[in-house]
Amino acid sequence: MTVPRGLFTGADVGTGLRLECGAVVVGSGAGGATVAAELAAAGVDVIILEEGGYHPTASFTARTGRALRTLYRDGGGGMAIGRPSVLFAEGRCVGGSTVVNGGMSWRTPDRVLADWARREGLTAAGPADMAPYFDRAEAALSVAEQDPETIGRDSELLVAGARARGWAVVPDRRNQLHCAGTNNCSSGCPTGAKRSMLVTSVPRALAAGARLYADTRADRVIRDGGAAAGVTGHVVRPGGRPGPRLTVRARLVIVAGGAIQTPALLRRSGLRGPALGRNLSLHPNAVVTAFFDQDVTGWQGVHQAFQIREFAADGLLLTATNLTPPMLAGMLPVHGRALGALMADYNRIVTAGPLVTDTGTGWVVSVPGAGPQVLYRLAGQDAARVVRGVELTADALFAAGARRLLLPFDGAPQVRDPAELRQLLARPVPRHALQLYSVHLMGTARRSEDPRRGVVDSFGAVHGVPRLFVTDASTFPGPTGLNPMETVIALALRDAGRLIADRARYGI
Amino acid sequence: MASRSSAPMPPGCGRAARRFAEVVCPPEIRAGDRAGRLLKELGLMLGSLPPAARRVLAGTLLTVDQGARLYPAARGRRLARLDDRVAQACLGSLLARRDPAAGLVKRLKSVVVMCYYELPEVQREIGYHPDPFIAAVSRRRLERHGAEIRAAEAGRAGPGAPGPRRP
Repeated sequence: MTVPRGLFTGADVGTGLRLECGAVVVGSGAGGATVAAELAAAGVDVIILEEGGYHPTASFTARTGRALRTLYRDGGGGMAIGRPSVLFAEGRCVGGSTVVNGGMSWRTPDRVLADWARREGLTAAGPADMAPYFDRAEAALSVAEQDPETIGRDSELLVAGARARGWAVVPDRRNQLHCAGTNNCSSGCPTGAKRSMLVTSVPRALAAGARLYADTRADRVIRDGGAAAGVTGHVVRPGGRPGPRLTVRARLVIVAGGAIQTPALLRRSGLRGPALGRNLSLHPNAVVTAFFDQDVTGWQGVHQAFQIREFAADGLLLTATNLTPPMLAGMLPVHGRALGALMADYNRIVTAGPLVTDTGTGWVVSVPGAGPQVLYRLAGQDAARVVRGVELTADALFAAGARRLLLPFDGAPQVRDPAELRQLLARPVPRHALQLYSVHLMGTARRSEDPRRGVVDSFGAVHGVPRLFVTDASTFPGPTGLNPMETVIALALRDAGRLIADRARYGI
Repeated sequence: MASRSSAPMPPGCGRAARRFAEVVCPPEIRAGDRAGRLLKELGLMLGSLPPAARRVLAGTLLTVDQGARLYPAARGRRLARLDDRVAQACLGSLLARRDPAAGLVKRLKSVVVMCYYELPEVQREIGYHPDPFIAAVSRRRLERHGAEIRAAEAGRAGPGAPGPRRP
């Protein structure tokens, strides 16, 4: 494997290391890679620490299991514990979750930005302030609609159903340069068309002189006299064994580990505060499995091509997203012969469902010996939204010609027409029976000018700890209601701009 | 590079895991060496989990195997020794429950069936063969948009040539 100049894997580090730099960035996902590239391009000496491995585009295949083991934290099997629990997945590799996400690139809605600014007293964070950063992010990442020939039959069917109902549908905007439509987003884009951090900001940072240490876990933020002064960590060896220790002394520490790892690292570093680790939002989503008479071959075509926006004001997006056979089989509520019978129809299946803007929250706690654990309480009104979203998705799928549906409710029978659906939903669906998933984790170190409400200020500076910054989805004051990647990148660009403007103050 | 994928099946789990897989996967798992290869895949998958989660799932597997003794029709036998009909009924009753223990069994079932549907011949049988498709659409992308893609790549600041290692 060819490794770019400036990038070191665990295999390169045989003994303990002591390094110095201007800024150390923890995490190489949307926030970390963006801020690192900006600082490095401005001439700052940057070191990036990434817990996951380096996996170049050429290594990506359609093998789900391999992808889960190499590109995701904990094999993609995170769980926010509650009633119901919510399964979640996070990337853990060079490029972070941008390597395995669906590539949807949406600006934060104006009403959300305005609400965040008003509620948390954020400065220069309104829609007009953020627009230039969204412009830059979209230009750098080739954000555009899909080429028509890459749109799969599963997306077309859901859209046909939505249009038959008269609902508003929008084509997805994605960070892609003529995406081929391989439907391999969640296992890494095998063509490099998806403009993840792996193929954009990480190489840009390295080209500008940054150093990136993959397979390196950050353990603690070093503090001198209260101010951040570096990071200690260790190399992660195969099998998860700890390898040599690493100490990076830096004038700035920027944490971008995501909504679970960032608060955990700050806690391990001795930080406390009423908002740290709290206010977790996760956009719960649910999957309706629809069986059609015709071949759909949903794996032929882009991961996701449209969003039904008719119910966006109610906190609901509806989308079709194909699941690979292992992912679908793992989700179906049957086993043995019945599982085989359902999976035999794999090519006639559409999987679709709602993404819910949640009002309930969760929190991240640190359990000795088990690392950070996530607890989440689904609010009653969010549970009702999930059920409504499932009903609406089912309506669209029936309108598109689905013959039967499996609903994401424990113990629910298959439904074969809208009348059966209404009959089933005439009785309340218990909250704990909902089968929920998430890939959008946000809000556990939120931005607020009030230290009692937030962990960082308007520009990501941690309250009360000079020279320590956070820039990732943990800093969101609330859920975006849309795919969050572009919001992370735009905020990171903005935070980096402030750091560069203040560089003399930091001596970088 | 580091990965947590090198751990084998936890000791003492092999027989229980095989029987569990035979019950939760479609009957075709008995064809050829599918069960053996599933177990290898399962070992890799468990190895990618954090140690605590690995221990919980391995413990769940052993508990299901030994706990089957309490199922009336099992007449004191562990899951690995039950015939198919009784094993199916035993596990079915467990999976139908809604308590936290059943949640763990469901999670274990999910991981095992994911490993089964990762097997290439199983994917072929259900009509999933992505490699030729990926190759074809990748070619199409370059044929239709190659010039624009190359221009964009050339205009982007790249990582530079591989250089000397200097950790």
